[in-house]
Amino acid sequence: MDLLVLRRRPGLSRRALLALAACFCPFPAVNAARADEPLRFGLTPVFLTNDIELLSKLKTYLSRQTGREVHLVQRRTYEEITTLLLSGQLTAAWICGYPLVQYQEQLALVAVPLWNGQPLYSSYLIVPAGRAASGIDDLKGDLHAFSDPNSNSGYLVTAALLAERKLKPEDFFQQTIFTYGHRNVVRAVASGLARSGSVDGYVWEVMASLEPGLTSGTRVIRKSELLGFPPVASLASQNRDISVELIRHALLAMKDDPDGREVLGMLRLDGFAEEPPSLFDPIAGKMRLVRSLTQ
Amino acid sequence: MSYGMTGWPKAMSSFAVRVPVVVALLMIAISTAVSLRALSRLEETQQRNLQLLSAAYLDGLSASLIPSVEREDVWEVFDTLDRSRERYKGLNVRWATVTNAENRTIASSAPNDFPPLDTMPAGTLALFSGSSDTQLDETKAEARMMRPLIYQDREIGRIYAIADISALMQERSDILRELIITNIVLTVLLVAFGSFSMRHMLKPVATLSSYLARSGEGNLTTIPDSAVMEQSREFRDLFERYNEMTRALGEREALAAELAEEEKLASVGRLASGMAHEINNPLGGMFNALDSLKRYGTREEVRTTSIRLLEQGLSGIRDLVRSTLTTYRTGQRPRDLTATDLDDLRLLVKPEARQRKLRLQWQVYLEGPVHVPAVPVRDAILNLLLNACHVSREGGSVGLRAHVRDGRFEAEINDEGDGLAAHMREYLERKGAGAAPLDRRSGLGLWIVKRHCDELQARLEVVQSGKSGTVLRFVIPLMEEAGRAA
Repeated sequence: MDLLVLRRRPGLSRRALLALAACFCPFPAVNAARADEPLRFGLTPVFLTNDIELLSKLKTYLSRQTGREVHLVQRRTYEEITTLLLSGQLTAAWICGYPLVQYQEQLALVAVPLWNGQPLYSSYLIVPAGRAASGIDDLKGDLHAFSDPNSNSGYLVTAALLAERKLKPEDFFQQTIFTYGHRNVVRAVASGLARSGSVDGYVWEVMASLEPGLTSGTRVIRKSELLGFPPVASLASQNRDISVELIRHALLAMKDDPDGREVLGMLRLDGFAEEPPSLFDPIAGKMRLVRSLTQ
Repeated sequence: MSYGMTGWPKAMSSFAVRVPVVVALLMIAISTAVSLRALSRLEETQQRNLQLLSAAYLDGLSASLIPSVEREDVWEVFDTLDRSRERYKGLNVRWATVTNAENRTIASSAPNDFPPLDTMPAGTLALFSGSSDTQLDETKAEARMMRPLIYQDREIGRIYAIADISALMQERSDILRELIITNIVLTVLLVAFGSFSMRHMLKPVATLSSYLARSGEGNLTTIPDSAVMEQSREFRDLFERYNEMTRALGEREALAAELAEEEKLASVGRLASGMAHEINNPLGGMFNALDSLKRYGTREEVRTTSIRLLEQGLSGIRDLVRSTLTTYRTGQRPRDLTATDLDDLRLLVKPEARQRKLRLQWQVYLEGPVHVPAVPVRDAILNLLLNACHVSREGGSVGLRAHVRDGRFEAEINDEGDGLAAHMREYLERKGAGAAPLDRRSGLGLWIVKRHCDELQARLEVVQSGKSGTVLRFVIPLMEEAGRAA
C-alpha cells in the first residue's frame, strides 16, 4: 500500500514519508534514529563508465527523492561491492545476477532495471572485427578477456558454455585476463590485446550507439539467451527497512520524474521494476553447471 | 672574365654594382651564421625538452607500472600504457611495450605487433642497446626510450618505447625554410636599397665624370651654379674646385694660344731671316755677276758665265719663294700630298740645318699623289723636322723617310739628339693631347704637331728614343675617295 502511495506521490516530502513509515514500524524510536543516517548505495562496473555527470545526477535524484543524504559507493570489483553489501555497510547495491544467486540466502531484490522494456539482457562473445571466427570453438587457445570473475555476462555465461563441453576457461584459453569493466573488455578486444572477450550485451549495444569507433573494432560472434538484468539488491534482512524502501521507491519512481528520466536516458534504460527472484534462476543454473565441473 | 686593377671583375668595377654585391655577400654570410646558430640552439632546446619529456614519461610509467608488472597483469599494464598515450600526447609515442625480466611481453600499446607472452624480437631489442634512457635517431625520425623497472633492487621488467620526432624535425625544417625566405627577402631589399642609395650618392660623380669626359674632347665647360648648389656640401666643394680648375685651364689655353701666335710670329721672323739669308747668298753672287757684266759684258765668256750665275741665283730664289708660297699659302682647297711637297721641306729646313752643321738625309718613296691633306701634313712634318734639327748635336744628321704602307702614309723623322724625356714621350703618344701645349718650356712646335694629329686622326709613334737619337713616326690613314669628295 505504502508503495502504491509512494508510487502515486513520488514528490512526497521527507517528513511525511518518515511519519508514514513510523505508522508501520514496531520500534518507532529506533527507526527514527536511523532515519538521519545517510543512505549508502553501491555501484559496480555494470555501469558504462564512472561518468561523473551521471553519478552526480543519480546522487542528486536519489537524495531528493528519498529525502536523505545519499552516498554513492564505488569499487573496482563486484566482489568488493558484494562484500560491503553482505557486511551491512551498504543500504543497497547495483550488483550482478551472479552474486545475487551466489548469495541468494543473504541477498534480496530491491528492483530490476528495464532495458528495451524487459528486465533482461544477454552476454556477447566478441572478437576483433577482422577475425574470422563463428563460435566459441574457434576461440580455443586465445588470450580471452573477461570482465570480472563475479560477472554473469562477463564470465559465468562463457564459463558455463565451456562447462557444457566439460571444459574450463583456463584449459580452453591460452590465457585469460580480467579487465574489471565491460567497456575494458571491448577496449582489449578492439586493440588486439585480447583475441576474444565476454561482454555484457547491454553495455556493448549502448556503447555501439555512444562510441561506435570503439565497438566497430569488434564483432559479436555469439549472443547468449536472455537472462535477468543486473539487479539492485539489499541484504534480505533489511529488504523492507525504510532505508531500502526509500531507495526502492526512488528507483521505481525514476521513470515518472524528469530528473529520473534524465538519469535513465543517460543509462539508456526504461526504468526499474519489481521482479520475482525466479528471474535469475537460469543464472543460478549456469552457476551450478560451472561449479559441478570444478568440484 | 677580365679583372681590373682593383681585383674586381670589370663588370663589377662600378661602385653602384660593387656595394650591393658586398651587401649581398655580407647578408648571406651573416644570415648563414645566424641561421646555423639559431638552428643549433633550436636543436639543443628540442633535444633537452625531449629528454625531459621522455624522462617524465618513463618516470610516470615506471611508478604506475611496477605493481602491475610484478603481478604480470596484462590488462593493467595495457590500460596504463593506453591511458598514458593521451597524457603524454606531446611525446607522440608510436608504441610502448612492457616486458618481464625475461624480456617476454606483458602488454604493449601495439598488441598486434607485440602480442602478450611473446618474446621481444631480437632486432627490436638491438635498437635499444644504447647506454642512455633516450636515444635519438633522426634518420628514422624517432626517439627510442628504455627504462628498467626496479622493485626491491631487482629488475622485474623493462619499458621499451619509440616516440615519433618527425614533428620536431618538421618544425626545424619549417624554421629553416622561414629563415631562408626571410633572409632572401631581407637581402634583396637591402641590395635594392644599397643599389638605389649608391646610384643616388654617385650621381654627382657621374655628373662630374661627364664634364671631365667632355674636357678630354677639348670641350671644357663649367658646371652651372644651379647644379652645383643642388649637391651636398662635399660634392659642392668638389664641383666648385672643378669649375675653378676649368676656368684656370681656359685661361691657360688662351695664354697658350697667345704664345702660339707669338711663336708663329717668331717662326715667321725666323723664316724671313732664313729666307733673307738664302736670298742674300745668291744676291752677292748675282751682284758680282752684274758687276762683271757691267765691266766685261762685251766678253762673250764673261757674259755667258754672268748670265748663268744670275740664272742660277734667280732660280734658287724662285725655288725658295715657290716652296714658301706652297707651304704657307692659305685658303686653298685641300690637295693630296706629293713627293715634291716633302722635297721642298728640305729647302725650308736647310737654313736651320746649316746653322747647326747638320746633314740632311731625305728618302721619299712616294709615287704620285698620296691621299692625305698636303698642307697640314707638311706643316706637321716640318715642325717635327725643325724640332729634330733643334735637338740634334752639331755635326749630326737629321733624316726624313716617307712611304705608303697598308693604306697609311708614314713619315719617319730621325735625329741624333739625346732622346725624349718620359713626359714628352707620353705627351706625343697620348691621344687627344693636342688640347693643350705640353708646358711653357717645351715650345709650341710639338703642340702644333699634336693639334694636327688630332684634327687629321693621325698619330705619333716613338719608334726609338735613346742616347743615339730619336726616331718618330707620323702615321695617317689614307682618305677614302668618298671621304675626300666630301
